[in-house]
Amino acid sequence: MIDFLNYLINGALVGLLYALVAMGFIVIYRASKVFNFAQGELVVFGGFIVWWMVLAMGMPLAVGLPLAFVAAAVFGLLIERIFFSRLVGESVFAMVMVTIGLLILIRGLVLVLFGAQVRPFPIIFPLKPVIFGDILIPRSLLFGAILTIIVGLGLSWFFNRTRPGLRMTAVAEDHQVAMSLGISVKRSIAFAWILGALLSTLGAIIYLSGKSLSFLASDIGLAALPVALLAGFESIAGVLLAGLIVGIIQGLVTAYVDPAVGGAVGTVFPFVIMLFILFVRPTGMFGWKTIERV
Amino acid sequence: MLELTNVEVIYSDVILAVKGISLNVPDGKCVTLLGGNGAGKSTTLKAISNVVKTEDGRVTSGTISFGGTRIDNEDPAAVVKGGIIHVMEGRRVLRHLTVEQNLVVGGHMASSLRDVRARLDEIYSRIGRLAALKDRTSGYLSGGEQQLLVIGRAMMAKPKLIMIDEPSLGLAPLMVDEVFALLKSLKAAGVTLLIVEQNTRVALDIADYGYVMENGRIVLEGAASDLRSNEDVREFYLGLNLEGERKSYRDIKHYRRRKRWLG
Ligand SMILES: Nc1ncnc2c1ncn2[C@@H]1O[C@H](COP(=O)(O)OP(=O)(O)O)[C@@H](O)[C@H]1O
Ligand SMILES: [Mg+2]
Repeated sequence: MIDFLNYLINGALVGLLYALVAMGFIVIYRASKVFNFAQGELVVFGGFIVWWMVLAMGMPLAVGLPLAFVAAAVFGLLIERIFFSRLVGESVFAMVMVTIGLLILIRGLVLVLFGAQVRPFPIIFPLKPVIFGDILIPRSLLFGAILTIIVGLGLSWFFNRTRPGLRMTAVAEDHQVAMSLGISVKRSIAFAWILGALLSTLGAIIYLSGKSLSFLASDIGLAALPVALLAGFESIAGVLLAGLIVGIIQGLVTAYVDPAVGGAVGTVFPFVIMLFILFVRPTGMFGWKTIERV
Repeated sequence: MLELTNVEVIYSDVILAVKGISLNVPDGKCVTLLGGNGAGKSTTLKAISNVVKTEDGRVTSGTISFGGTRIDNEDPAAVVKGGIIHVMEGRRVLRHLTVEQNLVVGGHMASSLRDVRARLDEIYSRIGRLAALKDRTSGYLSGGEQQLLVIGRAMMAKPKLIMIDEPSLGLAPLMVDEVFALLKSLKAAGVTLLIVEQNTRVALDIADYGYVMENGRIVLEGAASDLRSNEDVREFYLGLNLEGERKSYRDIKHYRRRKRWLG
């Protein structure tokens, strides 16, 4: 029973981490309709910026982390300016190809800027787990989950209740209408990339705290995909719930099915869920169905 | 005054949709732009608001000015700031947002939240129906309600001039009356209107002046009262001769059916 609770809780927390990364993905998709295959690379890049500021430059966390977020924001903006601002109106396929190019480019950039070695990631959250009775919870995941929930609810409020946020939601829904109302679509998309890069960096901090940093970490971008899909690509609040569902299922499958069959089902299972969703309900649980009135 | 002089609009560098048209919309007046399907009416409005650029279209010659300032190929946001708002064809509500969220988006340029609130109250008092629907998801409203909403959303920007594209399309006659009653109240409040319509009768009823477009050109213009009595307009666009009445009625039905297929 305790084991079960352990798996359940840890699964849920990992799921919320996926949700955080998925949020970055969704924010970018909503505004620009760009399906960003380089989301995991944004996480890695954010991770390397943090490593560079805190360990390579030796800045204290209180200085290095804020600076890392500023640098990530600039990086997000640059990506939009350089690649996507001139692609507005191009086909989805062209955009996807560009994000794959971006993926390769970021990998190259990291090699050039930060070298090929595996780096230690700073310990942002103390390594000592939080212990409730017999349940052990990694501190980074617990604090990360709390942060994720705060950020998720905050973004949801922003997109639905504030004027700058509603402007972005209008862009998400219909570029032409947004434009006819005097909204700058370009600015919204640029801001979405900034947000996406910030969320990725926060994801890196939670995911990597006290671990080692290399390109393997970009797998989290892939793991977040089923979460984004389950949520539907438009709902920020829904992604929290979707993360919980995927994380818990993955945690339990890893714990109970993997030993029986000799491994790896847990890692693959979210993608099975993803394919299932694609067949059954392509707009996800909370995504924007195309409302048809005749 | 909105002034178009010899405006030519080309899509994708090859499709000449508007072939040098000139028209004026004096302040405080209501002007209507009439004409059949494909005549270039929507393109003209899109050229003025410059959302035409989202469809790879461009004003390639001629000038558009508003209050003496050139606005051709201007940034759409600047055109809205300058006081012109474009209500596009097809009741383009932001379907997943509520009625009130749609209105807030329309008033996004207001200087303060209090100003947004004041504008909302004004819209709700002018369009009572919207007040009752404010928390409803706009995608599920009826066509008429959506038309009122997009007009209300445009008013949230406090424009000097509203351009509206085929507001009567696909609406029941009673609803058409309600929409045009709203437009008349706006006109009475001093808002300048440029209305694109295929429903010539209702358009000429509210308008002071009218232009008829065909094939990218203006083929006829005149005071609304003259156009109402003009034999050609009566025959071709009002369908008032016996034969024509049936024919144009069938045309309209056919057009609507096609729209639905495409939409
Ligand atoms: N986005 C576009 N790209 C290319 N051609 C277009 C586009 N929109 C309209 N057209 C063409 O321009 C002409 C005028 O269309 P439009 O302005 O929509 O007419 P109307 O509003 O009077 O029905 C038509 O021949 C139409 O096919
Ligand atoms: Mg049209």
